[in-house]
Amino acid sequence: MINTQERIEVASSAVQEDSEIDLGILLELGSIGAGHAATSLSDILQETITISVPKIHTLQPHLLPGFYDLHDRPTTAIYLHLNEKYGMDILLTFEEMEARKIAAMMNMCGSVEELDPAMETSALQELGNILIGSFLTSISDFIGLTLLPSTPETVTDGFDAILDNFLIKQSIDSESALVFETRFMRNGTDAKCILIIFPTQELKNLLVEKSKSMMGI
Amino acid sequence: MLSLPEGNPVKDAGLAMAKRIGACQQVEHQIVVDTNTIYTHPHLEEVRVDMAGFKVESRPVELVTSVGSCIGICLYDSIRKCGGLAHIMLPQSSLGLQEPLPGKYADTAVDALVKGIREITKSENRLSAKIAGGANMFASTLANGLDIGAKNIRATKEALERHRIRLISEDVGGSHGRRISFNLASGIIIVRLHNGEIRKL
Repeated sequence: MINTQERIEVASSAVQEDSEIDLGILLELGSIGAGHAATSLSDILQETITISVPKIHTLQPHLLPGFYDLHDRPTTAIYLHLNEKYGMDILLTFEEMEARKIAAMMNMCGSVEELDPAMETSALQELGNILIGSFLTSISDFIGLTLLPSTPETVTDGFDAILDNFLIKQSIDSESALVFETRFMRNGTDAKCILIIFPTQELKNLLVEKSKSMMGI
Repeated sequence: MLSLPEGNPVKDAGLAMAKRIGACQQVEHQIVVDTNTIYTHPHLEEVRVDMAGFKVESRPVELVTSVGSCIGICLYDSIRKCGGLAHIMLPQSSLGLQEPLPGKYADTAVDALVKGIREITKSENRLSAKIAGGANMFASTLANGLDIGAKNIRATKEALERHRIRLISEDVGGSHGRRISFNLASGIIIVRLHNGEIRKL
């Protein structure tokens, strides 16, 4: 556990720009988490899951919808956040039909038509718990910092409409959003699930500092 | 559905368009126009307005944007068929970070739209406004006191009052996203929800 003094020192360096080394460390942390999340997803679905090479983007929040260019694509999102002390929004987005297929598989339904809406929501929240839980636990284990997520919420709507809630928060806090992104593919299909994470500057600094201390840098 | 008498010259242009897109049919001595098809038919060039951006046009195009907690504000001069749409993210420019993005904030977006329309028409305009958006899609953000959607709605209405622009129609709040299509030929706004519901403003 990090002590209070350490937290204050880390928070006070929040105004520093992210160096390439720091971004590299964050990317490595995210890759560890994404690998574990993919394994969890594979265990749940009993299918081969591949992940794209994780990426970190630093760009102005309002440019993100244009960057993804998905606009009104029907999307199901599972949203979790870390507690207030660390602050991080986590968004796991699926193409709507892909989310329904996965929920049907989790409920042992033969097709999406057999899926009860309440069971669909419940299955997707469970999926979010397992995937994000796995992602965060692997990072926690690596750097020795407890990261506990909130209860998941799900929403189905257009991609941009879902994203704008988070981008508003980002644009209040900072000129640029740091976005960690990885894509999961089931049975080699096109990327249908995107994990997007918005860490606060304080959490970024904390993760980097803890990682550096673990690696003796 | 709207029934029109045959051979009315005033309606000829509208009927020609309706026939072109298959929105009307002859029933005995009446031409029956499916107004819903006309309102929702994508017959105009679509111009997307990005988040925090704004666009002003005098061409007959359809300005389009998608919002959740953000607000889409449309100002229209119905005489000159000129209007603009801004995708507002935040209530006040004081919340932002010295960015040259007037469309991003409620207070500066209305200024920018009024100025842009005036520059195109080269005259003072009688403008009316319609707004949509300001949803709160995640319950936890509401519980944390971050109902930015409601703050955006309030700030947008205050900005319109300051400019003495009449708000004639709105579709705001709720917990769903909206796709806004602003038809500059008619001034009509179509709001589409994810569940397929269509609202006309």
